[in-house]
Amino acid sequence: MDNFKKKFVEEAVDLIDGLEKSLLALEESPDDMTLVQQVFRVMHTLKGNSGMFGFDLIDAFTHEMETIYDLIRNSKLKVTREVLDVTLASVDHLKVLLNEDNYNDPLVQENHAELLRKVASIINADMDVEQVVNSPEEVKVQEADNGESTYYIFFDPIKEIFNNGTNPLFLLDELHSLGETFVYAHLNKVPPIAEIDPELCYTYWEVLLATKADINSISDVFIFVEDDCSLDIQKISETNLLTHKSFINKVKELAKSQRDVGFNTIQNLVKEVSSRSINEISTQKKKEKSATKDASISSIRVSADKLDMLMNLVSELVTTQARLSLFAEENSVPGLMPIAENVQKLSRQLRDTAFSIVLIPIENMLTRFQRLVRDLSSELGKEVAFITEGADTELDKTIIESLADPLMHILRNSLDHGIEEAAERKRKGKPTQGKIILKAFYSGANVMIQISDDGAGINPEIITEKAIAKGIISADRKLSKREVLDLIFLPGFSTARTVTDVSGRGVGMDVVKRKISDIRGEVEVDSDLGAGTTITIKLPLTLSIIDGLLVKVDETHFIIPLSVVDKIFAVEHKKIVSTFNNVVVLDGKQVPFFYIRREFDHPEAEQVYEQVIVVNFEEKSVGLVVDTVIGEYQAVLKPLGKHYKNQDMISGATILGDGTVALVMDTNKIIKLFANHEVFTRQQTTDN
Amino acid sequence: MNQENLSKINSYLSFKLGDEEFAAHVGKVLNILEMTKITEVPKAPEYMKGVINLRGTVLPVIDTRIKFGMTATVYTTNTCIIVLDIEMDGETIQVGALVDAVQAVLEIDKNQIMPPPSIGSKYKSEFIEGVANIDEKFIMILNMDAVFSSDELTNLRDKTEETENTVDIEEVG
Repeated sequence: MDNFKKKFVEEAVDLIDGLEKSLLALEESPDDMTLVQQVFRVMHTLKGNSGMFGFDLIDAFTHEMETIYDLIRNSKLKVTREVLDVTLASVDHLKVLLNEDNYNDPLVQENHAELLRKVASIINADMDVEQVVNSPEEVKVQEADNGESTYYIFFDPIKEIFNNGTNPLFLLDELHSLGETFVYAHLNKVPPIAEIDPELCYTYWEVLLATKADINSISDVFIFVEDDCSLDIQKISETNLLTHKSFINKVKELAKSQRDVGFNTIQNLVKEVSSRSINEISTQKKKEKSATKDASISSIRVSADKLDMLMNLVSELVTTQARLSLFAEENSVPGLMPIAENVQKLSRQLRDTAFSIVLIPIENMLTRFQRLVRDLSSELGKEVAFITEGADTELDKTIIESLADPLMHILRNSLDHGIEEAAERKRKGKPTQGKIILKAFYSGANVMIQISDDGAGINPEIITEKAIAKGIISADRKLSKREVLDLIFLPGFSTARTVTDVSGRGVGMDVVKRKISDIRGEVEVDSDLGAGTTITIKLPLTLSIIDGLLVKVDETHFIIPLSVVDKIFAVEHKKIVSTFNNVVVLDGKQVPFFYIRREFDHPEAEQVYEQVIVVNFEEKSVGLVVDTVIGEYQAVLKPLGKHYKNQDMISGATILGDGTVALVMDTNKIIKLFANHEVFTRQQTTDN
Repeated sequence: MNQENLSKINSYLSFKLGDEEFAAHVGKVLNILEMTKITEVPKAPEYMKGVINLRGTVLPVIDTRIKFGMTATVYTTNTCIIVLDIEMDGETIQVGALVDAVQAVLEIDKNQIMPPPSIGSKYKSEFIEGVANIDEKFIMILNMDAVFSSDELTNLRDKTEETENTVDIEEVG
């Protein structure tokens, strides 16, 4: 496929996505004319583009669909379920048609013919319906008058006008700056060339000016030549006559006949045309308006490769900047420090901007889900409302890409196993229409995505039974509710009694969990039997650079993500080593802590004070004891590589200003790993 | 240069671990670095010495001696890190290998290389490509992909040993 076609397909995919979105919105509010307009416009663009690039099938097909929406636009057809069904099916078909290889597939051809038949039947059905004719009044009302009036200006300077340094053309330019002009220069006073005095002006002008300015500002243009010319300024119409073609043509004809048109003639002309002109003008005006609206560019298309490159460069810059800062600190060269600080500030801003470029709102993938819920719920014969909140929450595009599949799966589960059938819901005293809510919101440096349904919920007993039957847990083991629910994330676990087409094949939640942890996310499930299930996904905002706290333990530098750091305390070494239960009292509260040196098998060092960094861990505070705190650091995350894939308490590494490597701690995993149950149960009892 | 051309070259880099001499095909060697500060990764297997900064990327460094069942490397002025290209699960990745000393680049003709002795050898045959007799010395030519891609502690010596360094996560969670 050549480049242009590729561009077209890329654009078409976007257009079709937008179309789908508008159509789903239209389903919610079928009377919204702006939505109809939107649908129509997209189809029109699609038609135009496909025709241009030789996708004739799409061209012809969209033409038919466009006809439907043209009829709706003109209130000749109502938006019905049937119309939407056919359109959505057509949208799917369009996606297929975008791949030219599909043209010869008999299935596609059959589908194509079928859809065309359906579309035709909708269009024809309408023809019998009474035609609603647009009344002319309606048009008049819409003829948004933007306050432009048309003036007639007759300007004949005296011959010696050049003598005081006036260039009449500048005056005309000035008129032009006031609004739209039609200028006619009369040359009939110009003598034969032998008699011409180059210092004299022989020309005079007639000007038609359409402007919002009043007559005074027009005469202001001529304020310095008032005495040196004959001037006549008259208002001829309250509207912009210059947009009226036939009027202008008449004026042109008159002017060509080499004599002055004159105010009276113009006025007669105006009278003649104005009666029939107004409608024409207003429609023209409207067209112009919509054209200018489309022309303003608010976003551009950039290839993902370029963005990746930009991100890489920014990462390199941040690393280099760290070296510069270090260098400036070590060498007290006058003036170097301010420069280094400035570079730091700028690179931070650059980093944030570059990040915001790759962040896209999750809205982009919601359309797909809306469609899924719509199609699936009708397939399953369930009534389901899909509600989204926080669609403008932004995430790294790579995260969004890898998130679509897991979310799709969760939604399928909710639809298939969660939401009950209408009859059963009624029996349970729930509204017959089920509800699935997808909520996205920020929480610190994380984005949370919550999918909750008001369906049947998960029965922990069935899960336990199943887990015991499959030998995943032993029968005598007592598990908390959370632990039981977590079992559904294990491979090969499915509670669905029957395997359906949609879900319940036993591959599922474990894949969801794995995919989400691939993008450094976490997933949790909470469920009340009979009341519904909520699945919460916690995701990092971005994958490549984090703000961190640089600390040192023995000879190793570590980065603790700033997002989890709460407070830092200096605590005497004695207090750290002498406690039995690893708890220190900070700010009057008991805080469990981990002595990193001990946990990471470094030798214990005798120093007077230890630094306790209090971090948030599952809504609790936990202290991590390190030797020294060096300061804030922007860490460009680099993978540790395959050889360290089992070291998941280190989420990556970063290169420091002096070229050494610092390790980025995943505090959640570290604490989970070190947490011995006693510490926590003890803390919980003291809390209560 | 592509892999095909590289494999035609008969150059090998020889290095020392203790008193024994080994060699690796130059096509696998990217770089030889002087000893630098290695950042230790906590709770990693003992032979995984840590990571270093190789021109902006993070390079894992393996203590070859431990991997081969010897005592841990003692750093001297001769200690070097050989940066290698390793095939691992179908991907090419880079690792650093700590060695006691880098010796020389040798031209070893294909017919000078003998197959590894199958019986009575001190080393596992899957890691040895062959043995070359150079100046009355036996040099073990290693299959670097096999040696460095295995993520378990694989003793080059022909005996299996359980590692105590793997952390049992199941028990804690």
